[in-house]
Amino acid sequence: MNWQADWGLRFRMFLTMFLLFALYIVFAGAISLYMGGSMIVFALVFGGFSLVQYFYSDTLTLRSMGAQTVSAEEYPQLHGSIERLSQQADLPKPKVAVIDSNVPNAFATGRNQRNAAVAVTTGLMRTLDDDELDGVLAHELAHVKNRDMMVMTIASFLSTIAFMIVRWGAFFGGGNRGGGKGGAGIMVAILVSLLVWIISYLLIRALSRYREYSADRGAAAITGNPSALASALLKISGEMDNVPKNDMREEAEMNAFFIIPIKSGIVGKLFSTHPSTESRVEALRDLEQEMQAF
Amino acid sequence: MGLLDGLRAVLGLRAESDARRDADPDDLFGMSTAYITMQTDLRYDSADVGALCFSGVDSGSFHDAVDEVEAILEAGREETGTDFSVTSDDHGYHWVVLEDDDPEDLITSMHFAADTFIEHGYGSRLLAAVFAYTHRDGPAYWIYSFRRGRYYPFAPRSGRERDSSAEFKLEATLDGELEIEREKEYWYPLWPSERGTHPWE
Repeated sequence: MNWQADWGLRFRMFLTMFLLFALYIVFAGAISLYMGGSMIVFALVFGGFSLVQYFYSDTLTLRSMGAQTVSAEEYPQLHGSIERLSQQADLPKPKVAVIDSNVPNAFATGRNQRNAAVAVTTGLMRTLDDDELDGVLAHELAHVKNRDMMVMTIASFLSTIAFMIVRWGAFFGGGNRGGGKGGAGIMVAILVSLLVWIISYLLIRALSRYREYSADRGAAAITGNPSALASALLKISGEMDNVPKNDMREEAEMNAFFIIPIKSGIVGKLFSTHPSTESRVEALRDLEQEMQAF
Repeated sequence: MGLLDGLRAVLGLRAESDARRDADPDDLFGMSTAYITMQTDLRYDSADVGALCFSGVDSGSFHDAVDEVEAILEAGREETGTDFSVTSDDHGYHWVVLEDDDPEDLITSMHFAADTFIEHGYGSRLLAAVFAYTHRDGPAYWIYSFRRGRYYPFAPRSGRERDSSAEFKLEATLDGELEIEREKEYWYPLWPSERGTHPWE
């Protein structure tokens, strides 16, 4: 199996990006009607901030997460795995960092493939076996390969601008030189920007979920073992805890009564950055079957 | 998932009964193609043994049922070559253990045994049918739960651990071929005793 494009996924990603841009353009147009040129200055200043954030993203993120870059002597196995997987994914080897935390987690950061870093928590290394850890590392490397950091930075840049304007409009009444539109005009501007911010926020969340699916596919392509990533996800999310430890014969005696958890509804789905473990595992199961077909 | 299902899920109305199927001994025949898939796709070899787990009842008619199961298996031994024994475990459950190097015959014998219990009105005493496999990573079992009418994988490792990655791979590969238990809350282990290797020992 190679990096087959999931066209449905691509199309949805493209559409989300497109909507985001369209939204932004419409919004900028609407704002400039009310506020005149000062917006441009503001956007430039903010753009400067974003650029700094963008260029130093790897170091900034690592520091903010309390991650220490580690040498190959300290963590030979981790380095070995990342080297092997990077080679498989045709990537330069990223920086390797470890976070001292019991929560099993991992992330990748960096503005491009050359300046990437992959960080894992000590809890993750403790929880997962070798194959499962490879799956998670491959997932993070797929993020690097897909340049997700850049995509998400651009996307959130747009929504943050909208957000800033909401605040700005609210505090300063919008320095309105748009000529005699008065308070009502400002109210409209604020309402519009609020609306824009909410919509763009949801779009970014959706985009982020698509990137996760993509990275799962990428990980499957790198390791050739979707099942290991799936069981890693189940372990990390605590779904594995659902698999009973008690013998069937003991349970049958007790005739246990089970409470089925209420699944979060559509509202929860719109706001989440990651797809539910269930849907990701479902997708990985399909990949596993595709691979078995060879 | 349809809109109505979605609504029911949101409202938390997907009750346990939803996931349940009535057990049907014919489900056991699903295992015959599974043996081939397990071998060709996953390199799991048949351990040439399977077993039926049931709980006893202290009544004359139940003992008659067990006697008839034994008689049928004894008669079938000629034809299928399936060796069998009836044992009990530390949990107080009873097992019909079947050995045959031909999976088809093994399944047929298992089906005969299960069917006989059901015909005598003791279907509710059947707990599970277990099919054993070997692999270089360790043993694996497909367990058919008569309570739920579904199959799930079980890959026990030493120290009462389970190889969840292997179990997941089994689930993914056999999905569509077997009625698989989707709710992992029901993937009950059947641990072997201290001295045994298989669940019935």
